[in-house]
Amino acid sequence: MTSVPLVSVFSADDSTKVTAKHIPLPAVFQTPIRPDIVSFVHTNIAKNRRQAHAVNPQAGMQHSAESWGTGRAVARIPRVSGSGTHRSGQAAFGNQCRKGRMSLPIKVWRRWHRRVNIKQKRHAAATAVAATGIVPLVLARGHRISQVPQIPLVVEDKIESYEKTTDALNFLKRFGAFEDVQKVVSTKVVRAGISKQRGKKYRVRKGPLVVYFNENAKLLKAFRNVPGVEVVNVTRLNLLQLAPGGQLGRFVIWTQSAFAHLDKLFGTYRYASVLKDGYQLLRPLLTNPDLARIINSNQVQEKVQPAKTTKVLHEVQKKNPLKNTKAMDRLNPYAKKQRAAATAAIKANTKGTKKIKKNKALKKASRAAFNKVSAALNDATKAAVQEEQDIKVKYFSVQKGAAQAE
Amino acid sequence: MSQKKPQMQVEQKVPENIVKKSARDTKLREAVAKRRTERLAANKTRRAQWEKNAQAYDNEYKAADKSLVDSLRKAKSEGGFYVPAESKLILVVRIRGINTLNPQVRQTLRLLKLRQLHNAAFVRVNKATIEMIRKVEPYVTYGYPSRAVIKNLIYKRGYAKINGQRIPLTNNNIIEQQLGKVGIHSIEDLVHEIVTVGAHFKEANRFLWAFKLRGPRGGFIAKRRSFINQGDWGNREDLINDLVKRMI
Repeated sequence: MTSVPLVSVFSADDSTKVTAKHIPLPAVFQTPIRPDIVSFVHTNIAKNRRQAHAVNPQAGMQHSAESWGTGRAVARIPRVSGSGTHRSGQAAFGNQCRKGRMSLPIKVWRRWHRRVNIKQKRHAAATAVAATGIVPLVLARGHRISQVPQIPLVVEDKIESYEKTTDALNFLKRFGAFEDVQKVVSTKVVRAGISKQRGKKYRVRKGPLVVYFNENAKLLKAFRNVPGVEVVNVTRLNLLQLAPGGQLGRFVIWTQSAFAHLDKLFGTYRYASVLKDGYQLLRPLLTNPDLARIINSNQVQEKVQPAKTTKVLHEVQKKNPLKNTKAMDRLNPYAKKQRAAATAAIKANTKGTKKIKKNKALKKASRAAFNKVSAALNDATKAAVQEEQDIKVKYFSVQKGAAQAE
Repeated sequence: MSQKKPQMQVEQKVPENIVKKSARDTKLREAVAKRRTERLAANKTRRAQWEKNAQAYDNEYKAADKSLVDSLRKAKSEGGFYVPAESKLILVVRIRGINTLNPQVRQTLRLLKLRQLHNAAFVRVNKATIEMIRKVEPYVTYGYPSRAVIKNLIYKRGYAKINGQRIPLTNNNIIEQQLGKVGIHSIEDLVHEIVTVGAHFKEANRFLWAFKLRGPRGGFIAKRRSFINQGDWGNREDLINDLVKRMI
């Protein structure tokens, strides 16, 4: 199962039988995938089904409310006139007020619809068709296509004449599309929110899209009641069906004539479209998407420069050279010698002091001299003290003698 | 007993682009290795040159000190005075913050690279710079830095201005790349240029980012007063060294 430039058309009755082999893929399927265009066009086109609505223009304004002004110890919001009811004197009109009108009430003349340039719409449709032929995109969108024999799935025109729903169902079963239908059935949920009371009770997923060509085809009625399945004529392909929600990759079942009509509809890269006046398919930016091959080609590799290494200007952490010897030596190789010289100088100085310590004789002599001096000092002090005492005794005794004499 | 499967003779074919890439990679690797050996050899000669320069400067400084001492002794012995030459270099330290500044003062401080409190910068002494410093005197203190202080500032707080970025001076390549064409190849060359205010002092000083010092340990005396008035701002001549040692 791959998206191929050649496509087989399958028989409606037997999924193993191929009625036409190797039909070329229409050029639309080679269009570059432009999710940006699709997303833009889809957001705008999706607004075109909207119906105008509005709030009642009088809602919240059916009072003769007036502001009481300042000086009455209340907010200046308009207040309901009159008396005799709770409502009188209550705030009115403002969007913040209870029972007030909303801010910026919705008007019917809101711009509900959006116009999109025709070219953009056509490009979006072309991209969406191209995406239906890319398996990963269809799988990513969530379709159960593991049993489908080929993407894009092209079936002979016989299915256009189906009238009974049983025929339609059996056809889907035969081609592995029933799994997708089962998904739709099993995931039908009651919608959250108020819209369930407004006619949109269920949220239903999208199943396969059947595209036919002949206007008188009866398959519309046959497939109509199968949940999830949509039927559309190839001349009226709708982006809202090809890329529901703006998401590319709807699972599409083409009839043979519808498939063949695509070239006339969208044109090819050689010829502009016949049916869309002057429309030319979008051209891809890259004609050769094999980037690895381009990069590894001789022409590119010859010009390529070698990979840049990160240039580190400086070490990540600055170390203080005044404290960190490694940092210092990195900056100033002479520092090592200076340090060595400094330590040598210190050693030389200490050698001198050691010499003094070892001179014991000198120490002894100096101590002896000191003892001598201190002894002499002691004797002198003692003598002086004794002399003072003698004088005192003499003086007091003299006084006593004098007193005694008198 | 299972039959042994016949060995198929398949020549191991290596994809062409892998062959080409491995050839290119070996060439690149060899070029890198060659450049590395060249660089290491060049580094060796450069380091020898740095050492030689540093030693020459060391001798120069010692000689300058000795000649100063000799001059002083000689003058004393003759009964006269020796007045050493006025310093050619000033170290300016910003001591006031950013609030409520006169716009002219603000601009002058910016011109002196003193954009932040406790920023310090070297300034050459000439008429122009003296006038500038006079304008900002109450907001800065300045004086004549000693060689040791200059050296310590550049080693510990030295950052370079490269492409408007503040790059730490962690190796001499930084200095070589920016100032090599002016003859300054290592950090000792840079210190020497600042100390002696050489011919390329302008380039060397512009290369240096302003020194971002810490507040002085032990504090200021009174920033509201001038140094002469038992305060802090203004010229404090040699005593700037004591202050900056507390701020480094």
